Amino acid sequence: MNLLAIIFVAILANNIVLNQFLGICPYLGVSKRIETSVGMGMAVIFVMTMSAIVTWIVYNFLLEPFGLVYLRTITFILVIAGLVQLVETILKKTNPTLFRALGIYLPLITTNCTILGVALLNVQAGHNIIQTIVYAISVAIGFTIALVIMAGIRERLELANVSSFLRGAAVSLVTAGILSLAFMGFKGMMTL
Amino acid sequence: MRDALRMALTLLIIGAICGGLLSVVNGITAPMIADRENQQFLQALEGFFPDVVKFEVQEINGEEFYSCYDAAGKFIGVVGKVKASGYGGEISYDLAVSDAGDIIGIRISSHGETPGIGDVITKPAFQDRVIGLNFADPISAGVDVDTVSGATVSSSGMINSIRRVMNVVGENFLGMEVEKAAIDLTKIADGTYTGTARGFKSDVTVEVVVSGGKITSLEIVSHDDTPGISDNAVKGMPQRIIDAQSLEVDVVSGASMTSQGIINAVFNALK
Amino acid sequence: MSTIAQEFSKGLLKENPTFRLLLGMCPTLAVSISAINGLGMGVSALFVLLCSNIVIAALRNLIPSKVRIPAYILIIATFVTIVDMVLNAFTPDLHKALGIFIPLIVVNCIILGRAEAFARKNNIVRSIIDALGMGIGFTLALTILGIIRELFGKGSIFGFGVMGTAFEPMGILATAPGAFITLGIMLGFVNFMFKRLRIE
Repeated sequence: MNLLAIIFVAILANNIVLNQFLGICPYLGVSKRIETSVGMGMAVIFVMTMSAIVTWIVYNFLLEPFGLVYLRTITFILVIAGLVQLVETILKKTNPTLFRALGIYLPLITTNCTILGVALLNVQAGHNIIQTIVYAISVAIGFTIALVIMAGIRERLELANVSSFLRGAAVSLVTAGILSLAFMGFKGMMTL
Repeated sequence: MRDALRMALTLLIIGAICGGLLSVVNGITAPMIADRENQQFLQALEGFFPDVVKFEVQEINGEEFYSCYDAAGKFIGVVGKVKASGYGGEISYDLAVSDAGDIIGIRISSHGETPGIGDVITKPAFQDRVIGLNFADPISAGVDVDTVSGATVSSSGMINSIRRVMNVVGENFLGMEVEKAAIDLTKIADGTYTGTARGFKSDVTVEVVVSGGKITSLEIVSHDDTPGISDNAVKGMPQRIIDAQSLEVDVVSGASMTSQGIINAVFNALK
Repeated sequence: MSTIAQEFSKGLLKENPTFRLLLGMCPTLAVSISAINGLGMGVSALFVLLCSNIVIAALRNLIPSKVRIPAYILIIATFVTIVDMVLNAFTPDLHKALGIFIPLIVVNCIILGRAEAFARKNNIVRSIIDALGMGIGFTLALTILGIIRELFGKGSIFGFGVMGTAFEPMGILATAPGAFITLGIMLGFVNFMFKRLRIE
């Protein structure tokens, strides 16, 4: 698969949230305002790229040569948790502005299954380092796009007269379903 | 200091116990998994070749091919674990080819085609169109294998991929000459050649000028495919073929049948 | 005695992880395509939750609170990997169907959430009850969703055709949008029932 196809598929045709069902928790939790969803998206792009690179290195130079592939889940999640901590500490010291912008989202990211999911998917697909980076960035962009669209809809939904039973998560899920239907249209736009 | 030591020590101990536990479980389950996968695969091969008792794996361009042998050690055919591109992404499938070059069977192992539409490729309605064809047949969408209407992309993706796999199998396992690759432009005398092949709904005729071992001009002389849809193929394909100096070029999306027709017509002109 | 019953039943109804707390949404949406997948995922998560709750409750006085999160993650990831291997060895079809969502049980908020909110403050017995209640609640929710989507999307339940040949399956329910919409409507329905029956 060439890089262009990876980008297209990851952002649109196989959108991580709307088609692969990863990262639903932050998707429902942080999509109330456009501003916050952009912040979250930026934090995810940042962390996902870094963690994809680190987990790729760990997998290909540590786990695979020593036949420890079965430890990948446990290693990846520890690496990601450690990385998020590290990023938080470094940002706090060196770039307070960026920290204020991204800081509150970072702790949420450890339990964001997109990060671990992408690390595992990269290994599963046998991507090389360049494909890994491109894939991670594209998935994160796809996540951000889905999040921002959802936030835009939800800001209006707040004003709509929704039945009290459906208010909140229920109507958000139905909305996500319709969005997902729209994204299905991207399938087949590109034959690989 | 003592606190930090205690924390590090606790984590270390937990980590060590976890790692140890996992390696024990892995030691028990890994051979079972490997054994089962091997068994499953042999069973899958038996589905195609009932006599198979032994197989050998060979990797070609990242795809695995399994040569099958019967009890007497005689070569009976090849199964390729291969991939095609469909409408919803990659289609993984097994293609079994007998030692005579006949397609024995297809089994789709995973696909992302739309349920109820593109998944027709998993059904006999589509597969029967391909099974029984020989290496020597064109195996070309619209020529000797019809695509399934409503699922053109899925079915023509499969057909194109099967042709490609047949070439790989023929070349590597059956010792057959792969015709398409055998068009050696340097061996074709200078001159003007015409050829015809089936496009989407009409015959496409092309005129090819070869000089000095190169295709210097390629013109679509006549066709009656849908105006507006086939236009891009008629405009784009000649340049693609001339640029590549080969018939192994991508088809124009949206007009894949016309494009394939042009490729086939050029092939017919030069063969 | 009544507290134990309450401990158990809260996971089933009042604090049902899927319908009330909205935890573990990713696997819920992804694997509820059929009843058997939903059940398989639910039982896997139940097993991990039970084991991790037991171990964490047993070690609750030994783990320094500053490093408790990494320690919990280690313990949870170990059990998840065990489930992954065992499923692969004994039920390969289920393992293939659940795919990447098995290792992703690690980041299922239900499990870390119960460790943090319950197991580290309670004894082993109560932690077991809590894990059983939450795990069974999660399993039930997944299985119900799976049954609905399989019944209307494919016309069968647990793989057995029940709708007869005249039934035209609603293919949309078997696709990604169907997952979101079914869960959304289910949530609305559960909210409605809770209001009606005044369970608060």
